[in-house]
Amino acid sequence: MSDLDRQIEQLKRCEPLKESEVKALCLKAMEILVEESNVQRVDAPVTICGDIHGQFYDMNELFKVGGDCPKTNYLFLGDFVDRGFYSVETFLLLLALKVRYPDRITLIRGNHESRQITQVYGFYDECLRKYGSVNVWRYCTDIFDYLSLSALIENKIFGVHGGLSPNITTLDQIRTIDRKQEVPHDGAMCDLLWSDPEDVVDGWGLSPRGAGFLFGGNVVSSFNHSNNTDYICRAHQLVMEGYKWMFNNQIVTVWSAPNYCYRCGNVAAILELDENLNKQFRVFEAAPQEARGVPSKKPAPDYFL
Amino acid sequence: MENGVGTEKDLNEAGAEALPDGRCGIRIKGWQIESCKRPILGSLALREWEEKLGTSHLPEMVFGDSSLNLLHMESGFKIHFNAFDALKGWKQESLPPVEVPAAAKWKFRSKPVQQIILDYDYTFTTPYCGSEAVELNHEKSNYKDACQNPYWEDCDQRINLASLTSNEPILFYDEVILYEDELADSGISLLTVKVRVMPSSWFLLLRYWLRVDGALMRLRDSRVYCSFSGDDDAQPVLLRESCWKEAKIQSLFAQGLPVDSAAYCDPNLISQRLPVVAQKIQRLKISW
Repeated sequence: MSDLDRQIEQLKRCEPLKESEVKALCLKAMEILVEESNVQRVDAPVTICGDIHGQFYDMNELFKVGGDCPKTNYLFLGDFVDRGFYSVETFLLLLALKVRYPDRITLIRGNHESRQITQVYGFYDECLRKYGSVNVWRYCTDIFDYLSLSALIENKIFGVHGGLSPNITTLDQIRTIDRKQEVPHDGAMCDLLWSDPEDVVDGWGLSPRGAGFLFGGNVVSSFNHSNNTDYICRAHQLVMEGYKWMFNNQIVTVWSAPNYCYRCGNVAAILELDENLNKQFRVFEAAPQEARGVPSKKPAPDYFL
Repeated sequence: MENGVGTEKDLNEAGAEALPDGRCGIRIKGWQIESCKRPILGSLALREWEEKLGTSHLPEMVFGDSSLNLLHMESGFKIHFNAFDALKGWKQESLPPVEVPAAAKWKFRSKPVQQIILDYDYTFTTPYCGSEAVELNHEKSNYKDACQNPYWEDCDQRINLASLTSNEPILFYDEVILYEDELADSGISLLTVKVRVMPSSWFLLLRYWLRVDGALMRLRDSRVYCSFSGDDDAQPVLLRESCWKEAKIQSLFAQGLPVDSAAYCDPNLISQRLPVVAQKIQRLKISW
């Protein structure tokens, strides 16, 4: 058994790698990812997955439902880390699978694959706690910069973490972005990872936060029309039912973190496409308590004032 | 502590009993105190709520079937906490939106044609401090006996914090999230209610907590306290202290506090640093 296969077995048991192993793995991953396009081509059949957020044991459920990689070809739409308890193990397992089976798993970047966001929402603290230093966080966030920004399945389905950008009309415009950087605060690359579809607008909307685009049905139609795509598949937003179509089936949100943050009680979904691009959503629930080895979330009584 | 309820010995000594049938709560000194925790609302229920509330935006996690209920059994008076009433309060208050730091940069971005700027209060800030009701059909009460129009009146009687720091056993404890929003990864908006029941009293804290990264923190606390009197026929009095605090991150920064959000994850720690912007002390007497 090769070192890499042994590491994959270890990560599947939710045991993190040594710091030196992480460093070596990231170097190998970088060589593979640097070759990928900003619009990475993906062949069908493929199974598309949305946000995971460090919920390692729930990702195990995902693999039980979807099948193991490399037997199943996977596309993950980003947000592997933050919020859950096991961002390290989750991301490293996906990355190890990428290095071992580069043609059978595609990882694209979510807005949480960023230095700034991971320092607020958990991944940074988790690395520090599990390794006693921030080196692993550095290796991982350096790899984040190499992750592709989107995927194109059989030229027909556009996969992206967040959504569209007013700066992008054609896929070629995405191809020209220099992605090897921290996610910027504005511009096309930021929009692809951050924007959301919104019912109350037809064209473009600006979030009440003063930053962040919202896009309506017209924007989605013209994008699909210009690029000859059937629909857009994205993640980024929690959906109680695991997936949600909008704008006459021109865009679908897929969410793959069941019982999000260990308290929402939502189901999760993955989208399976066969060789003819026929769709099947597979809905799944969170791993049972006994399978996750985490203390129950029952709050300890506290003498709050 | 299974189901949040204390040991049988402690319950017996206090004359309390756990609620039956796997319900989460306790009966003690004429009160029935019960928490109910359910998953977030699904798409269908969310659409119904949007219609009822007259909005097209709700927090991404609405624990619409969760609640905390405290029922005074003799009078049928109930104080309860739920997301729907809290969101009614949000809709009514309708604060102007808070801009995130990136907004400054975005003002210089070229605008797409037909851009609409959404302007609802995405922080879901609410003045909510609980709901009251009288359960007329409760088994121990009839219409005549039921308590009439309970109301909160201003007072200067503070909650006795000393008695709350004494080492009484906690007979029932729970925390219920009513709604939560991650502000699209720009911070957190969270409305929760915590309760603890001791042999001599119950005490709860309803907390609205908002952190807009790099911009603002807002804390709206309501504490409600009820001391059990020895006399079963005595009319219970509830005390409520509401305290609103708020600060811009820049002003905390000016006081020498860090500017990055990681330092502001725990509202308990930051609470002392936030200036009070409003305060109210009230009492409610249950009579029947």
